Amino acid sequence: MKKNPQNDAIRQKYSILKLLLIMKLSFFLLMVNILAATAAGYSQGSKLSLDMKDVTLKQVLSEIETQTELSFIYKSDLVNPDQRVDIRASDASIEEVLADLFSDKNIKCEILDNSLIVLLPKSTTTQQQKVTGKVIDALTGEPLAGVNIVVEGTNVGVITDIDGNFSIDVPGPASALLFSYIGYTTERVEVGSQSNINVDLALDVTQLGEVVVVGYGTTRKATATGSIATTKGDEIKRSPATNLTNTLIGRLPGIVSVTRSGEPGYDGSTLRVRGTNTLGDNSALIVVDGIANRNMERLDPSDIESITVLKDASAAIYGAQAANGVILITTKRGQMGKPKITLTVNGGANRPTRIPEMANAAQYAEMLNEIDIYRGRDPRYTADDIQLFGNGQDPWGHPNTDWFDAVFKDWTGQNYENISISGGSENMKYFLSMGHRFQDGVYKNSATNFRQYDFRSNIDGRISKNIDISFDVAGRQENKNFPTRPVGDIFRMLMRGKPTMPAYWPSGEPGPDIEYGDNPAVTTTDATGYDKDRWYVLESNIRLNITVPWIKGLTVTGNMSFDKALRFHKIFRKPWYLYTWDGNDDHTLAKGKRGLDAPELYQENQDGYKITWNTYATYERSLFDVHNIKVMVGTERQQGYNDYITAFRKNYISPAVDQLFAGAVDAYLTNNGWANQNARMNYFGRVNYDFGRKYMAEFVWRYDGSYMFPKGKQFGFFPGISVGWRVSEENFWKNNIAAVNNFKLRASWGQTGNDRIDEYQYLSTYGYASTYYEFNLNEQNKLLYESRIPNPNVTWEVANQANIGFEALILNKISIEADYFDVRRSEILWRRSASVPGSAGLTLPPENIGKVTNRGFEYVIGYRGTYGALQYDISTNGGYAKNKITFWDETPGRPAYQQSTGHPVPTDPNDPNSDMYYQAIGIFQSDDEVNDYPHWPNARAGDIIFKDVNDDGVIDGLDRVRSDRNNMPRFTAGLSINLRYKQFDAAILFQGAAGGQQYISPESGEIGNFYKEFADNRWTEDNPSNEYPRTWNRDEEYWRANASTNQMFLRRTDYIRLKNIEIGYSLPAVINRKLGIDGLRIYVNGLNLLTMDKVKLIDPELERGTAYPLPKIINAGLTLTF
Amino acid sequence: MRKTLDIWIFLSILAFSYSCQKAEDFLDKKPLGEYSEVDVWSDLALAETFLNGIYENGLGWPFAIERLSDYSDESHFTPDWGATNFNKSLMTQDDLQGWSVSWATPHTMHFLWDSVYRNVRRTNIFFSKINQAVVDDASKQEWKDNLVGQTYFLRGLCYHYLTSMYGGVPIITKAYTLTDNFKVPRNTYEECIDFIVGQLDSAIMYLPDDQADLGRITRGAAMALKARVLLFAASDLHHDMNSYAPGYSNPELLGYTGGSQDARWQAARDAAKDVIDLGIYDLYKKDPNPGDSIAQNFVDYFITEGETVEDILLQCYSTKTDEGWDHYNPALYCGPNGYHNWGNNCPLGDLVDDYEMRDGSSFDWNDPVQKANPYANRDQRFYATVLYEGVQWRTRPSDGLLIDPYSKIQAGAVYNIDEVTMLKAGLDTRKGPIEDWNGGYTGYYVRKFVNPALDPQYVKQEVPFRHIRYAEVLLNYAEACIELSDDAEARDAINLIRKRAGQPDITESGDALRQRYRQERRIELAYEDHRFWDVRRWVIGADAYHQTHAISVKYLVNATSVDSYRQPDGSTWGAPVYERIDSPAGDQRAWDDKCYFFPIMRDEMGKNDQLIQNSGY
Repeated sequence: MKKNPQNDAIRQKYSILKLLLIMKLSFFLLMVNILAATAAGYSQGSKLSLDMKDVTLKQVLSEIETQTELSFIYKSDLVNPDQRVDIRASDASIEEVLADLFSDKNIKCEILDNSLIVLLPKSTTTQQQKVTGKVIDALTGEPLAGVNIVVEGTNVGVITDIDGNFSIDVPGPASALLFSYIGYTTERVEVGSQSNINVDLALDVTQLGEVVVVGYGTTRKATATGSIATTKGDEIKRSPATNLTNTLIGRLPGIVSVTRSGEPGYDGSTLRVRGTNTLGDNSALIVVDGIANRNMERLDPSDIESITVLKDASAAIYGAQAANGVILITTKRGQMGKPKITLTVNGGANRPTRIPEMANAAQYAEMLNEIDIYRGRDPRYTADDIQLFGNGQDPWGHPNTDWFDAVFKDWTGQNYENISISGGSENMKYFLSMGHRFQDGVYKNSATNFRQYDFRSNIDGRISKNIDISFDVAGRQENKNFPTRPVGDIFRMLMRGKPTMPAYWPSGEPGPDIEYGDNPAVTTTDATGYDKDRWYVLESNIRLNITVPWIKGLTVTGNMSFDKALRFHKIFRKPWYLYTWDGNDDHTLAKGKRGLDAPELYQENQDGYKITWNTYATYERSLFDVHNIKVMVGTERQQGYNDYITAFRKNYISPAVDQLFAGAVDAYLTNNGWANQNARMNYFGRVNYDFGRKYMAEFVWRYDGSYMFPKGKQFGFFPGISVGWRVSEENFWKNNIAAVNNFKLRASWGQTGNDRIDEYQYLSTYGYASTYYEFNLNEQNKLLYESRIPNPNVTWEVANQANIGFEALILNKISIEADYFDVRRSEILWRRSASVPGSAGLTLPPENIGKVTNRGFEYVIGYRGTYGALQYDISTNGGYAKNKITFWDETPGRPAYQQSTGHPVPTDPNDPNSDMYYQAIGIFQSDDEVNDYPHWPNARAGDIIFKDVNDDGVIDGLDRVRSDRNNMPRFTAGLSINLRYKQFDAAILFQGAAGGQQYISPESGEIGNFYKEFADNRWTEDNPSNEYPRTWNRDEEYWRANASTNQMFLRRTDYIRLKNIEIGYSLPAVINRKLGIDGLRIYVNGLNLLTMDKVKLIDPELERGTAYPLPKIINAGLTLTF
Repeated sequence: MRKTLDIWIFLSILAFSYSCQKAEDFLDKKPLGEYSEVDVWSDLALAETFLNGIYENGLGWPFAIERLSDYSDESHFTPDWGATNFNKSLMTQDDLQGWSVSWATPHTMHFLWDSVYRNVRRTNIFFSKINQAVVDDASKQEWKDNLVGQTYFLRGLCYHYLTSMYGGVPIITKAYTLTDNFKVPRNTYEECIDFIVGQLDSAIMYLPDDQADLGRITRGAAMALKARVLLFAASDLHHDMNSYAPGYSNPELLGYTGGSQDARWQAARDAAKDVIDLGIYDLYKKDPNPGDSIAQNFVDYFITEGETVEDILLQCYSTKTDEGWDHYNPALYCGPNGYHNWGNNCPLGDLVDDYEMRDGSSFDWNDPVQKANPYANRDQRFYATVLYEGVQWRTRPSDGLLIDPYSKIQAGAVYNIDEVTMLKAGLDTRKGPIEDWNGGYTGYYVRKFVNPALDPQYVKQEVPFRHIRYAEVLLNYAEACIELSDDAEARDAINLIRKRAGQPDITESGDALRQRYRQERRIELAYEDHRFWDVRRWVIGADAYHQTHAISVKYLVNATSVDSYRQPDGSTWGAPVYERIDSPAGDQRAWDDKCYFFPIMRDEMGKNDQLIQNSGY
């Protein structure tokens, strides 16, 4: 036999792999070589000799490949490679052998370019064949209406009627029917000669067939070995939340999320995977459609196919950015079939979950009097005044204003619409979507609102048999509108709003301000000008997927993505007018210009892009049916650049023209500009091996380089390994514990990195301050400061994460999944400032010294069942994570109860006194009590008793005790109930969190109002409360001062809330058909409907009383498909 | 096949084009907004920009919302922010009370251990790098010397602040790197003073008499600061430690433990005399003409947007100076609430009472004539410094103008003759209709340094802060002379100042002269950040920190209501009734001798075991 040229090709193939591994050359160039090498194969007239009995078809084809140097290409659904065959041939031509082999099949062969044999379906004359049948629920035997039935590979489809019956014309006996129904496993039935097909659909309890997205590919849930949580776009869509980050809590175990503000446009949640892991940046890596560092907040929920969270070492494939977990979002793509149009229309209303209850005017006036009395002054209000504040008889002189009531609407509107079209043929599939949403602010005449327009076009095309191309474009415009006063100022002024001052005078004019023109009844409207913030985002991606024809199981994927973000921000401020009444009898009001003297304009533009290229090859192979191997290697680069420019002019002659040119050319005219850039590149890979789908192992790695680090230290290697064992596949299990249908153990260990640190820490540079120093008159001089003391050894944080878990399915009904994890973060960049004396004068650079461990568990327990026609599933999940600083820079000399090492990461790790509190142990009831206990200087009856923790007879800084709780919850959980009864469906989500706390300390006293709860329960001589102290004035009292934070104002933020509920009704199929539509579902849903907690004053997720409150949303909508 | 090939080629090119750039080059990014160390120190222009940063933190924010005057017996800070607790001497090593409220500290930015030492580091970096500058001609050499001189001054100033607050402190002249030993013990007070004087002597050597930029340090400024430093060092606080820190084991940290106090007074006197003998500074309008409004002269001087003959070191501002809502807008911060201003830093009744009568006698509440008309015939500097009931002030903003068309300060209230039922509160009080909670408690507002031509609601003024002026040098000289018993020389210097103020000469000697001198200094330098240090170095804390006083102004009418604060023709409802009252702010101050020095914070003590804590903490 002559030297087989394919050996060269094989050698070449291995050299390719080798090269891929060392990554010195482009993969694609070498693919061209393969093409050249394999082109010289088959010569016409070669003869074959075969004698094989009871072997698989695959083995036969492989033998033919060996003898002829030909390669076969076929669709796996056309030819069953595992079919057992006998073949005998001696010196036969290949055409003869093949004819024999496929004699009973509808297959013909074509030889292309003397090297490839393509197996194709025989072009038969279409023989329409009618098939009828009935679809029932496998468990209950109830007929299923609305089941989708499609002839595989065609656009032909019908749905079952109300009795579960269907009738369909199929092209011929070789056809197969696909039966699909939401919540049920899809069944495939070969038609053959059958004319009546009855199908039992089973509830999809196991989701074993489910495919989940992982980094650079997918994996089957059944054999996955990592800790992965996933949810579907359909689930997300049940929430009327306007920000995608607000829909995840309670649905994904291991995701800790708190929403700190509900302001339209800035209402995103802080998302953390498995809680707090580092002293630095804890945010997860977001990957949208395979492109890292995209934003998820404003994705249209109708476009989302699934959201997957990589919680453990499986994230290592994302290397130096993966230590805080990875959230992978996949958008929808077209399916084969006729165009399916889905129209979603939603209209809703929202209001704050909780509006602070404040003291009323009479109460506040009494409290101000107490402030006077405590200071030895005459009380400012007489008993008559207080009576008038209370009875409302003198609205001019003695108003009783509820500021929140005066400024807030009862309900405010929001709506959301989306239309999508999807469908496709074998060669072209498409998913097109357009959406719009609007969310109004809660203020009356609100200047605040948010509007978004978005579109997405995901197109998949087949260029040739081996090449698929995808072209995705998505864009959106985000219009964020605000009043010219920042939201913090508005809510500060609402809290400070004095009930004894009018928001509006009885004659209708707006009342006076507390200062600076801040009457929130006016500053929440457009009377002060506007703040328009426009974001334009365009995200695009081209993907080529090549099934390499000469190497079975090898595919190569290349992506190039270009993302663009533009921002246009314009703040036009103009004077506004408020009215003051000096008590004159005619109620003549004095009108005053407030805020600023003449209009001014600030304008800001931002232009940024991000380019990502990646290429990866996946090779999948099964050996002897039991060894399943999948290897993937790839490389990726990402770079970004942002330009900024700002301009400002003041002293506009008129507010009529709001453009830059119209502003005065004077000393105030300024402009500014800056830029930043970044770049990352890496090589990555994954090897999966399983033995008979029973024993699984996975190895992922990434060799990651980041511009963050100095030359020579830019790259690091991040490996992850995981193993799984499907114990339930073992015979001993099957024979003994059959009730447990599925039981899988899995474990993982890996190293990931966190490069989310300040840039360029290795460089010794000087930068301009944002401030100036004035020499001469009206001349601002630049200031140059040492940017940093360089740390040439700066590197990424390292997370060593271990995970062990199991998945089980009992009686096909109860599913359980649980994980325990142990993450040891080291090399955390931390400044040694706690131990370096201030006299050194330097701010040390962060060094890789910190260590934090984080341990915890997660679980999901689900149950699916039916009760008569009622189908239900209940699922509960939870995640607990407790972190501990094992090493950082601790201030020397602090007593053990103040040290943070060994305790959780403080709320603000940069503040050495964060989470340190004096122990409030009651209220001094009398001056005698004051004298009997160590106390702060000038303590008096009604003051808070601080515990003398170290028993030294003095209350000082040493009596503060570190609290183990901080502002993030330690345990979060969700309970979800899904019900389906005939045409009705319902979904209920309860969600809770525990283990966090907040310091809630309003600016009260003469500066502003008190929470009603403090006012009602305050200590007075007549009300010797032990709960709350006497009336205070801002921070004049020692227990209110900045440096003496104490437990009295600390509240646990544990809560349970009815997070989301949806009730829907779908029209029966019969009616649909009459209407000529595919389906119509109407529904009502709600968000944050009920909350149970002990914070009371504000929503438990808010950090301060001065944040925009979280919304409670009630919404109705419909989904129409046709 | 053809099509496939095309794709391969396309992909190959694509892949090739991006893999040809080497990994290191791809990742090699530079910050787009920063200068390298080499750039900065080879170029004097950038070095000067670095030096400007030392100015910012060196001279601080004397016009911040809270002022040093609020911490001595000059003024009251209306929103308190813990200032009262500071003034009650409740400072501990955990808590400096209002001195360092975490959310607003511009007023003490240059008076805190950590921030001053950060600035010290900047001066140390400067000295360690400045010789890398390219100096290739004589003008550059001159420029470099000038920069070096300014930096010597600023390093001396930093240590002057530190020693004034803490006594002896660690003298650090090295620009530390990551691996240095940071634990350094305190130097003695004497070593610190010697060091500071050395710095200033170097500055004097390098600096020119004139600077191109207004606000840069000159030779005269360095000489004047040296005079101030030596005056502080000669004071009793640093010689009589036993009187306030008996038994403290390290008196050398607080003052001198040997040598002659007289010699130190002599050094202070000589240094001040050197400034006087320069002959380039003098008092502004020192010889008022008979027809001049002396009060107006003072007003004009303090709002001069530029340099006068009296100015030795100015800190300039711009209408754009905007470092934070609480950093710079003095007219807004201290103006009356009836002007939509914030009513802070209100003059205490105690300060107002200390202004002499025009004939040189003391004001006396027990004199019925003076009580009935307390603002008549006072030292002219009173009218230039304080706003009081009924005085004409700038035109009110539109809403205020409708209520008060006369734009006269309304610091009192109209009462029924029962003196209990208030009928109408003044616009500029805490009971007025405009921003009442911003009203001051004392019945007075500040006029000094405020330019009445601008509406501070909308526009910031450009009035400089006068850090060092010639009058202070004269006073410093006079004080040293008094302590050296050269009374005649002292009286001459003081009387130069009194003559400019239109007050009669003083004639006292000995201790009486010392008292007159201290009174003169309090009045002349009010609101200029001197009193705080003076009460400490004179060891008179207990005299300065006590119950403060305010003014009550009532108009009594026989009616149950009035439409306005003044009668429609602008006249008042009869003669006002004045009453000196305890400050209604509850501003009851108290003194503890530990407060002559600041504590070193507990954490700093923990971080550096070489440190010794000050007495009483």
